[in-house]
Amino acid sequence: MPDIPRKKVGIVSCSGEEIPEGTISRIATRLVLEKLRPEDTVTICLPLFLAGGQEERAFARFYPTIAVDGCPKLCAKHGTERYSGQVTDVIVVSELLNGQEIKPGWRRSLDGQGMRLAEKVAEAIAGRVDSILKATHKEVKPDLIPVTIQDKAPLSWPAQEHCYRCMARGLPVMRIDVGGVTVGLAGLAAILEQAYALGKKPNQVTKNQLLETVKVYNYIPAGAQAEYAEALLREYAALCRRKER
Amino acid sequence: MSANNKAIVIPCSGIGKVFGSVGREATYIVVDELRPGTAETLCLSLLVMGDQETVERVRGVPCIAVDGCPKACAQKNIELAGGVSAASLRVVDTYKAHRELKPEGVTVLDESGRKLARFLAQEIASAVDRVVAGR
Repeated sequence: MPDIPRKKVGIVSCSGEEIPEGTISRIATRLVLEKLRPEDTVTICLPLFLAGGQEERAFARFYPTIAVDGCPKLCAKHGTERYSGQVTDVIVVSELLNGQEIKPGWRRSLDGQGMRLAEKVAEAIAGRVDSILKATHKEVKPDLIPVTIQDKAPLSWPAQEHCYRCMARGLPVMRIDVGGVTVGLAGLAAILEQAYALGKKPNQVTKNQLLETVKVYNYIPAGAQAEYAEALLREYAALCRRKER
Repeated sequence: MSANNKAIVIPCSGIGKVFGSVGREATYIVVDELRPGTAETLCLSLLVMGDQETVERVRGVPCIAVDGCPKACAQKNIELAGGVSAASLRVVDTYKAHRELKPEGVTVLDESGRKLARFLAQEIASAVDRVVAGR
């Protein structure tokens, strides 16, 4: 049975070294990754969008992403959208904690009061994670091709490191031609194999099911969905022909 | 001697790994305790964003990069912003010299991590002195 990793939500925190709200952002993000939603979330260092390669820059196109920003400059949101892809949601710590006392010393480390505020932010992030995953599942459920989902990527990396690079290593990406452009789609080979295993015919119904399933694991621009659907059906038909030779 | 007798210490954001937390803690030790008059830090995210004010800061003052992993985000982003990385320190090098201090706890550094950060902070402070003296 083909396996692909469980759908997760990406969280990108601002680094915020100069302000206490930045430290709250980072610690709240870590609390979500380690304690509140460890199976549903991954992260990446924001500066890796510039210092890294294509794999890092694909982050927000692969994962629905929440930006967690310490201040209204919105570095995490704007940095992610400039170098990777559109974010799904934004949390601005200075707005969320508006009216609360923020101590300058929290820039370096949080005391009990600061940690409680970080936990409040973490709960807000976890709530957004749940909403995104719920919406994703609800959106695709009617046409989803059931693919076996693993709780963890098939890797030897330490489980506590919920960073994107760890997860990305296990992602099977298949390249196809969409409207004359070669694009890589994560999980596609497994999805096509699963559709064939379920006995699906290469027709219009299957075309829509393929598109909806691929959308769970990839960002497909709204204006290009018809082209993607045609390309997916073409690839699926080719797979069926190969199998039936 | 550097133009305004200051150096900017920039740690990688290091959200995913404990060495990132060690680098950040070491940076705070330097700017808050060891060299408060000659060292300052800034948000690396602002450099990534291309924030004009921040870009001008790194172009006008020598920078010291503190990186937690081989991707060297701090050093690369300083250079991409047009700044000068006057010194580049890696947490792993300090760890190699103090293998008894295996840090743990990305969210909150453990005792070993804080001790390792102290050693790294001494190295950063020395680099600040060299950079400010123009050596």
